[in-house]
Amino acid sequence: MTETTEFDAVVVGAGPAGAAAAFELARAGRSVALVERGPFPGSKNMYGGVVYGRILDTLIPRWWEEMPVQRWVTRRQTMLMTGHQALTIDYRTDTWGRPPYNGATAYRPDFDSWLADKAVQQGATLLCSTTVTGLLVEGGRTVGVRTDRPDGDLRAGVVIAADGVNSFLAKEAGLYGEVSADNYTVGVKETIALPREVIDERFAVRGDHGVDIEIIGCTGEVPGGGFLYTNADTVAVGLVLSLPALAAGGSRPEELLAALKAHPAVAPLVEGGEVKEYSAHVIPEAGYDMMPELVGDGLLVAGDAAAMCLAAGVWLEGVNFAIGSGAAAGRAAHAALRSGDTTAAGLAGYRTRLESSFVLADHRKLREAPHLVMGDLAQRQLPGLACDVAEAVFQVTNPDPKPGLVRIARKQIARHGLKLPTVARETIRALRAYG
Amino acid sequence: MSEASIAACVKWVDLHPGVDPATALPEPSAHSWGFSEADRAALEVALRLAEARGTEAVVVCAGPLEARRCLAELAASGPARAVLVEHDHQSGPGTSGVVLAGVLGPRHLDVDLVVCGDMSNGRGSGSVPAVVAHHLGFAQALGLIELDPGPGTLRAVRRLDGARREVVSVDGPAVLSVEGSVAALRRAPLGAATSAAMTSEAVEVVRTDPHHAPERPTRVVPWRPPPRAVPAPHEADAFSRIVALTGAMADHSPPRSVEGTPEMAAELILEQLRTWGYLARDGEQT
Ligand SMILES: Cc1cc2nc3c(=O)[nH]c(=O)nc-3n(C[C@H](O)[C@H](O)[C@H](O)COP(=O)(O)OP(=O)(O)OC[C@H]3O[C@@H](n4cnc5c(N)ncnc54)[C@H](O)[C@@H]3O)c2cc1C
Repeated sequence: MTETTEFDAVVVGAGPAGAAAAFELARAGRSVALVERGPFPGSKNMYGGVVYGRILDTLIPRWWEEMPVQRWVTRRQTMLMTGHQALTIDYRTDTWGRPPYNGATAYRPDFDSWLADKAVQQGATLLCSTTVTGLLVEGGRTVGVRTDRPDGDLRAGVVIAADGVNSFLAKEAGLYGEVSADNYTVGVKETIALPREVIDERFAVRGDHGVDIEIIGCTGEVPGGGFLYTNADTVAVGLVLSLPALAAGGSRPEELLAALKAHPAVAPLVEGGEVKEYSAHVIPEAGYDMMPELVGDGLLVAGDAAAMCLAAGVWLEGVNFAIGSGAAAGRAAHAALRSGDTTAAGLAGYRTRLESSFVLADHRKLREAPHLVMGDLAQRQLPGLACDVAEAVFQVTNPDPKPGLVRIARKQIARHGLKLPTVARETIRALRAYG
Repeated sequence: MSEASIAACVKWVDLHPGVDPATALPEPSAHSWGFSEADRAALEVALRLAEARGTEAVVVCAGPLEARRCLAELAASGPARAVLVEHDHQSGPGTSGVVLAGVLGPRHLDVDLVVCGDMSNGRGSGSVPAVVAHHLGFAQALGLIELDPGPGTLRAVRRLDGARREVVSVDGPAVLSVEGSVAALRRAPLGAATSAAMTSEAVEVVRTDPHHAPERPTRVVPWRPPPRAVPAPHEADAFSRIVALTGAMADHSPPRSVEGTPEMAAELILEQLRTWGYLARDGEQT
């Protein structure tokens, strides 16, 4: 039996970023090992539940015909809530239920395995149950990785670290500066089984159409947000919570999640279901501001390992950013191998590719958004203010006449201890952040 | 390559099937197919035994072709050969044991020691080791919780009911089954694991007929007379019935010494067995 321990490239982590990188390298004819610590791709991975698939157009034509989808999201809601109120903005369109679609709920073991399999079909070698324990460095240059297997060194021209948030490889290579817990949130999620027809009825959808609900104001004293997604015969309900605030004590994630499930706007959607799974995972929340150096000698960093998850309130998108950055890393690595220069200078094309794509363009544009979303106004005042304004608008107080909208707004702003200039300033800040 | 004489038999199963909440029936999972801890322990034991005896181990799996990739990955941990006996577990109870025995027997691999896991996670009957032993005419030492793989006679500990243990010595051809705690399968070296990930061609695929049991090998073994049915005693009290049953107080024919040719001695022994009723006389049924 021949033994192979040398490749053009080694990609660490068979999440979306790693699979996309391996796909591009293998498609370009490079020998590439995709190393995954779990027994199969996706076995270690969790997320909320929606994949925005259009980035796959460049990799897999008509991807929607084969991607393992639970439901196509045709209804998106943003819910602002207090302990007893909820104000929901609800958008639905059947257009998102037809090719080329918009978002889809999918299980990560299915999705990650499918994408990694696509890389294997292009010629990548997928090596599971193998943990990369460190970088192989010679003369200051990364020349491969060490694994936990006997005789476990893999040598390669380029290493792509797609090992997720907490990337030990990027840290070992010194690409991260000082790491602050302030930049991270932790996501907790329950997957709850309900019969398909019950989900259709409760969420007012049919067939393979589904719903994505993002929630603000459901995390008590801990800054964060919530989500609720429909799968075929389960719903995913979860929270994203500031790590330092949780660590400071007071609230526990499972208590906050139980409170969300008991909220009058959520309980009727999830009650009677059987919890099939409870999971938790860290998210690199701070986006652009926490990104490491993306390139080292012989080394590229992609996906969550490079903090490329976009957590900007109404958008929680990581998988598409991981695929986008992974594919760019794969292409840059191939170009560097072709030119025979895999030093940081030779690999610099990676950053250029990211800057000219949505990955860094969106991150740079929305740089302020994560801070704004986790700030006091969005977390503590906005949900209550919005709900109270809605209540005052919709409440009929005859025999008193209806108050004007401006009066309601002024009154509620004052009631919530806010000043008009502050609100105006924050609104401008928000418009700039999301502009 | 020298002939392998120790085989580990493993079953490709769904390690973490889901459960349909409505029917409580298992639902096959898409990703978690593999080999149980007990089967992995069986392979490790086979590898250690092969090392101690200076021979080679082979890993054999009766299952569908889809099992080939997983078997290749398992085989990266060290056996000299990996054989997939193409087989559909739905083809009837006991058929896995039959096809395995067909491949392990003298016509194919000709092994003299077979190690199985005691549990496969596959909701099977657990009868494969016994069926294999039956068809190969091997001794059985099943449900082992300890095993010393050193050379010579194998000494092993078997779990019995009531937290009791039995120490067994295994000499000669045998089928062993081990619990998962007996040994942890060694990690496959990186090169072998990578090669297995690249191709599963190293796994030989064979096909046998699950309904055609392999012929049991004919072997010369001591003849032990079969038990004989005696009529129930009619005595009134229990003591007398025991006396009647055991013949304790009856007259016994005294031992006789005879001299003669071996043929004559054999004929006398057979005649005596006929007298006692252990052997039928010509034209009689036993
Ligand atoms: C609660 C929560 C909700 C989310 N919701 C969404 C959502 O709805 N939509 C969305 O698009 N994104 C969402 N995200 C973000 C998204 O999950 C991530 O951005 C995305 O998974 C990043 O992909 P990745 O490939 O970079 O990393 P990962 O998916 O984390 O993959 C990294 C891989 O590397 C492997 N690995 C790690 N270390 C090693 C090692 N040393 N050796 C070998 N392998 C290793 C891991 O096992 C893993 O398979 C959510 C995240 C969380 C936590």
